[in-house]
Amino acid sequence: MDIPFLRDILGQLLVGLPLTLNLAVLSLLGGGGLALILNLLRLSRVGSVFASAYVFVFRGTPLLIQIFMIYYGLASFGFVRQSVLWPFLREPYWCGLLALVLNDAAYTSEILRGGLRAVPKGAVEAGRVSGMTRATVLRRVILPIAARQALPAYGNEVISMLKATALVSTITLMEVTGIARAEVSSTYRAVEIFLCAAAIYLALSLVITRAIGWLERWLSPYNFGKTQ
Amino acid sequence: MTRTAIKIESLRKRFGANEVLRGIDLEARDGDVISLIGASGSGKSTLLRCIPMLEVPDAGTVTVGEDSITADGRLGRVQQDTARRMRRHLGFVFQNFNLWPHRTVLQNVIEAPLHVQKRPRAEAVDEAMALLEKVGLTEKRDAWPVHLSGGQQQRVAIARALAQHPRAILFDEPTSALDPELVGEVLKVIRSLADEGRTMIIVTHEMGFARDVSSRTVFLHQGLVEEDGTPEQVFGNPASDRCRAFIGSHFTRNR
Repeated sequence: MDIPFLRDILGQLLVGLPLTLNLAVLSLLGGGGLALILNLLRLSRVGSVFASAYVFVFRGTPLLIQIFMIYYGLASFGFVRQSVLWPFLREPYWCGLLALVLNDAAYTSEILRGGLRAVPKGAVEAGRVSGMTRATVLRRVILPIAARQALPAYGNEVISMLKATALVSTITLMEVTGIARAEVSSTYRAVEIFLCAAAIYLALSLVITRAIGWLERWLSPYNFGKTQ
Repeated sequence: MTRTAIKIESLRKRFGANEVLRGIDLEARDGDVISLIGASGSGKSTLLRCIPMLEVPDAGTVTVGEDSITADGRLGRVQQDTARRMRRHLGFVFQNFNLWPHRTVLQNVIEAPLHVQKRPRAEAVDEAMALLEKVGLTEKRDAWPVHLSGGQQQRVAIARALAQHPRAILFDEPTSALDPELVGEVLKVIRSLADEGRTMIIVTHEMGFARDVSSRTVFLHQGLVEEDGTPEQVFGNPASDRCRAFIGSHFTRNR
């Protein structure tokens, strides 16, 4: 094993780590906000049709194609090139982030919907009957219970998004996978380089899994055999 | 003369084609303990749920203390505020307890005092502990609802209702979801509240309990008050044949 080479490669790949984390965190934040809006839309009939269609399209097509459609596709429309958003939409970073946000929103809105559906009707009634306002019931009863219900599934989504950031390397972004691909094409040592890249993702996944598990225990100790 | 705590006038409620309440009048004065009895489908739970507007009546008037709502099937914005004020003066105990699963016993009891009535935390906690002592659950203050028996959960729910300082407490079949051996502990707590002179309306299938504890018994049949009187009258010498048959069937079944 060529330890000095591996160390050198690892150092180079870690240069891309900030961008990988940047894309993962921002797409989760943006996607989460959009997911909450999609669930509020579901309260009206028209909004519900829109939300369902949105989820159908973004969950039913490959993320890679969504990235290509936004990066290559939008530029082919004249009005997009004339618009105030063009300075953003011609940058691969913003196109990649936009695709990740839109894709994450579809999955997260479904996870959140499941959590909201799992809130017991009786718990909501108990809140109303104690004299709480709608906003207080939402804040003190519905969202805390929904979040606890949704957390395990959301943990998977966080890891998915982390790995999904690798796809934006196809539109020239130099995050961890992008750097790996560039190194492979200059050194032809694919196995070592991609193994190093995989190890970075694996380490991040481990941290995320642990963090989500800790959060679950902290929020819902009663699901882990703690009686007090 | 005691004052009126809850007044219900000409109350009507339908679910689709099914008219569940067909013009109910009922008044609870301070200190009354009213048991609502009747066959399933007679409308007694719906009637109880109409008082805090958990079900919105189609017609009629509900008055709680100073606040009054004349309903027409839905609540406008002003009426929703009125309903919230009415709820603050009522305690409601559900058949299925409906404790908040993500909060401990103590947190369940102090939730409304803190987040509805905006009382100071220390005061709310002190009072909650006194209420937990009353229902015999002081040592469970930090337990989670899922780890309690049904009887314990229902006693917490009663403490939670009392923490609101309610003018009246409404019980919706408080022992129907309990294993038979746990019914007694809950009835004992409710009985002690009656002895304190609290105003209560209790929907129940526990006929012996209704007869012993209530100051008044109301028998509902198909959405109408069919019999209304002291427990001695209603259980001993009912005027209506249907009431007689209902009570007869219950007492023979329970023996």
